[in-house]
Order: sequence, then C-alpha cells, then structure tokens
Amino acid sequence: MRKLFLLILTTAFTAIGAYSQSGDTMTLRPVNAAYTLRAGSAHIADTYLTPLKYSGWTVGFGYQRQQAAKFSPERWVMQLGVSLDAQRTLNPAHSANMWSAAIQIDYAMLWRAKWKYGLSFGVGPQASLIGGIRYLERNGNNPASARAAFTFNATGYAAWHGNIGRQAVTLRYQPSIPVIGAFFGPDYGELYYEIYLGNHSGLAHCAWWGSYFRMDNAVTLDLHFGATALRIGYQGGFESTKANDVVTRTCLHSAVIGVSGDWISLPSGNALSKETKIITAGY
Amino acid sequence: MKTLYTYILVALAIILAGCHHIDDYSNDNIGSFQALWNEIDRHYCFFNEKDVDWNEVYSRYAPLVSNKMSREDFFALMSKMIDELRDGHTNLSSPFATSYYRAWWSDYPQNYDGRLIEQYYFNFNYRQIGSFTYEVLPQNIGYVRVPTFESGLGAGNIDYIISYFSKCTGLIIDVRDNGGGNLTNVEDLVNRFISKRTLAGYIIHKTGPGHNDFDQPFAYYFNPAGPDHLGWTKPVVVLTNRSTFSAANNFVSIMKLLPQVTVIGNTTGGGSGMPYSSELPNGWGIRFSACSILDAEGHTTEFGVEPTEGFDIDMNPEDVLQGRDTILDAAINYLI
Repeated sequence: MRKLFLLILTTAFTAIGAYSQSGDTMTLRPVNAAYTLRAGSAHIADTYLTPLKYSGWTVGFGYQRQQAAKFSPERWVMQLGVSLDAQRTLNPAHSANMWSAAIQIDYAMLWRAKWKYGLSFGVGPQASLIGGIRYLERNGNNPASARAAFTFNATGYAAWHGNIGRQAVTLRYQPSIPVIGAFFGPDYGELYYEIYLGNHSGLAHCAWWGSYFRMDNAVTLDLHFGATALRIGYQGGFESTKANDVVTRTCLHSAVIGVSGDWISLPSGNALSKETKIITAGY
Repeated sequence: MKTLYTYILVALAIILAGCHHIDDYSNDNIGSFQALWNEIDRHYCFFNEKDVDWNEVYSRYAPLVSNKMSREDFFALMSKMIDELRDGHTNLSSPFATSYYRAWWSDYPQNYDGRLIEQYYFNFNYRQIGSFTYEVLPQNIGYVRVPTFESGLGAGNIDYIISYFSKCTGLIIDVRDNGGGNLTNVEDLVNRFISKRTLAGYIIHKTGPGHNDFDQPFAYYFNPAGPDHLGWTKPVVVLTNRSTFSAANNFVSIMKLLPQVTVIGNTTGGGSGMPYSSELPNGWGIRFSACSILDAEGHTTEFGVEPTEGFDIDMNPEDVLQGRDTILDAAINYLI
C-alpha cells in the first residue's frame, strides 16, 4: 500500500544517499517534500515603530523536506523547513500601512516512535534562523524595524495515518517552541542611522522565554492521491519579544493548501524488489 | 498530583512569559491624548535642556480633554501642549493640518532675500544643478547656495562645482533658510573640506522610558571624499540665519570647527534632535526629537550654533534698499 504513495524517479547516475544496502535487503529512505501556500490574518505590534496594534492579512510560501536519517532510519527523521511570509497591516484608524516580510529556516532531528492504529509521534531539537523587516510607511527616521533571531527549539509531532472511507489520509500536528538563542534588537531610542554610523553595541540579546517567546503550530491533513497528496491545514505563529523596553508581537493565523509527496532516486540499473524496505519520513 | 501542579506551573510560566505588555488606548480624544503624552514622555530627549516638567504639563492639559471636543478643538489643544516643548522638530499631523512651533525663527529677523542675490549680484545669470545654485562673484570668490539637505548632489556634480571654482581665492556656502534634510547629504558635502578622518560629533540615544535614561555619547566620524574626488582647502565662509535648522544646523556645527572655515550671519535655529515618528489611536501622526546630536566638542546645538566670534551680523535695511546683502558683503570683504 505504501508503494502507492511513492513517486519513483530512476536516474542515470548514482543515488544521493537515499538508500542503503546490506546483504540482499535494500533500504530506501524517500524524501517527503511539501510545497504549500498559506493566507490568513495578521496582528502585529512593534513599539519601536508605533504604540498601536496593527491588523491585516498575511500570505506565505512553505517548503518542507523530511527524510529518515541514514544512521537510524527507523528512529530518526531529519526535517528541513523554509518559509517566506509577507504581511500588510493597518493601524486601528486605517490611516497607516505596515508592511512586513520574513524568511524562516528550520532544521530539526526528530526521534520518533510508531504506535498502533497508525499513530506515530516524534520529538527532538530544532535550530531556527529568522530574518525579516517591518516597514511603517508614515515614519521618518524610524521607518523600519529589523527582525533577526537564531534559536534552538523544542519540537515534536503527532501523526495519524489511515483511511477515511476509501481515502488514505495523514493527519499531523507539529508545534515548535524556541528554548534558547539570540535575537536582534536596537536600543530603546536608537535610530538605525546610529547603527549605520558604527554603534553596534547592545544589539544582540539572549533569547529565552522571558525575552523571546515564539510558538509555531501546524495542523495538516494530507489527502493521498497516488504518489502525491493534497495538503490542507492550519498554520499559526505567535511571537512576542521584549528587549530594551521595546516590545514586539506577531500573531498569524493561516489556512494552508499545497502538495506533498515521497520522492526517491535510484541508482542506474536498480529496481524495487520484494526485499526492498521503504522507510517513510512523513508518518 | 504534585507532578501535575508542577506541569501546570511550568505551562503558566511559559504563557505569562509570552505576554509582554503593550498599552491599549481607546480610539477617542482621551485615548489619543494619553498616547500622545506617553509617547513624548517616554521618548523625548530634551526635557532637561528645556526645563520642561512634563508631568505638570499633563496636570494642566488632562482636565481640558474630553471626548465631546471636536477634532479641530482637540487638535488645537494638543498642538498647544506639544508647543510647550519649544521644539521645531515637534509636529502633530492630522488630515486637515500639521502643527508647527515657529517661535524658534519667527521671533528673529529673516536676514535673507534670495532674489536680492540673484538679481543684484548675478543679474539672474548663475548656474543651477539640483537644488544648488552657484556662480563666481566679481571678486573671484565662489558662491554656492544650498537651500536644503532634503536632496543631495552626486559626487560627480560636487566635483564639477569645485572644479568650476578652482581659480577662486575663497568659497562662500550660503545655508540661510536651509531647513535641513538628510544627514547623509551633510556628510557628502562636509567630506570635501576635510583631509583626514574627522570627528563630526556625538549621538546620544535613550536607553529607556525615563527622562534621564541616556546612553553614553557615541562619537561619529566623517571620512574625506577620497583621492578620486576633488576637495577644497582654501578659505570658506558659511552664511547662516535663524532659519538654518536641523541637518543644516548640523552642517554648520561641523564646518565651524574646521580650521579654514568662518561662520558669518546669525545663530542658527538649532534642531539637533533626530526626530522620531509615532502615531495616535485616532490616526494622527506625531514627530518629536528623540536622539540628541552634540558637536565635536560635546556641546548641544539644540539652541543653535553661534557664528564665529565677531561675525554676528544682521541685514541692514538700508543695504537691502540699495540691493546689497549685508551678510554676503561681510563674507566677501572677509575673503578678499
């Protein structure tokens, strides 16, 4: 049944480390890749730019790549995520625009366990890098606020793979919370012009729950159609920071739609046999 | 059960840690007044220099604000309140008006008439590039007028102007009525008059919402334009009046400390605070000084830069009637 969900690409060259062979048994570790678009509501505050809370819309693109780890494919999964997001928000009087954009790159290693009834769970460390900017059109010398953070997170997932009627589905929930790291923040009244002139002291801050709290939540449902799946779901992001009496807050709620699938490359001349063991990463 | 309590406490700690406080303001006159007063209270940088008791200002104005006031009445009252700061960089912007504190220049003679120079000194025959106008005076002295630092000139344009004046014995830079602009344009001009890395001044920013929460002064430097560009080492006179403000005030404060430069005219208008923008719940914008810039000797220039000693000169009305600019004539006589 699982083979139905594989898109097999036979290439003319060597494999890319996606398989291993011991004796007559070949183990395949397909790459589970997902490309998603999302759109929803955004609520943003940044007291460096304004004392007011802004609301509007958000759009984003996400790429996620998962693969069972080579050293222990049954137990460990590597996960890479890249997100691009943009928001346009308005002040309460609708007299000013704030534009925001950010890129987030996450890398996680998840220890996982499969339970009965198609349930599986995973937990592990994650490294996360965020860069972005908020731009408030009406401001003069303080028109923009930069976002940058590098954090080590705790993440995990719970997934159920089964059938609803005749439809094969995978339901999955994954939260992520930074535990420790560093983030960028100018001093209370420091203009970026002063940073441009060379005053770089005090810009980096230790990120912990008292100064930097973020929680990303993703709930997805993959509806499998042959080798690929339609992914729908919800993605939420909450971030609150405080450094030098400057407080920022970002709250995003998005509906998600996209495609996902398992991909693998085989070396020239090899084909799947009955002894081939396939270890998926998605569930 | 004890373990359960521990988990609950940890969960509560996480949730509480994630809720950094942000003030909420109502979208009415009272909420906008509170936001305006708070923003200035927390960010304004010249309370001490101007001896303004902002709490006392609150106690006088708060009872006058009500949600029944018209927008125009509320705007007039709030404009009056921020005028207590006596700061030309402080403005309240609504859809129907922007407030200005004007006494920093309106209480002084203007001492500048652009047409007089264009007509009687150049007979309307002068060069113009961007906002700059320039020409050689009959006394073989270069004259360049810089009316604003909002827009600058390209390095090649400035090279050309300096080249045009290459045979002149001196240079007059007229920044009267220059209301300021971008400090990067100031640097682009100043760096033609320095031959080595030069201390331009100090910036002091706030480190917190308290009135005395300031960082140590940060020294900033300008570098010469470099070997690919022309510089000017001959004598320079900078002409000023009370309407020389903000970035132009900064330009004068840096130029005055260069050995070949003399400042002639009047004490400039000041405006050494870098303005910071914010807004009110009713949608209006607010701008005020938030970051102080000192000159290279560590002195504030918020109240203006004085001319070189002995060169504080006003326009003589009789000179004006005869088509003469008293301040420009003093500069010419000084350079001859």
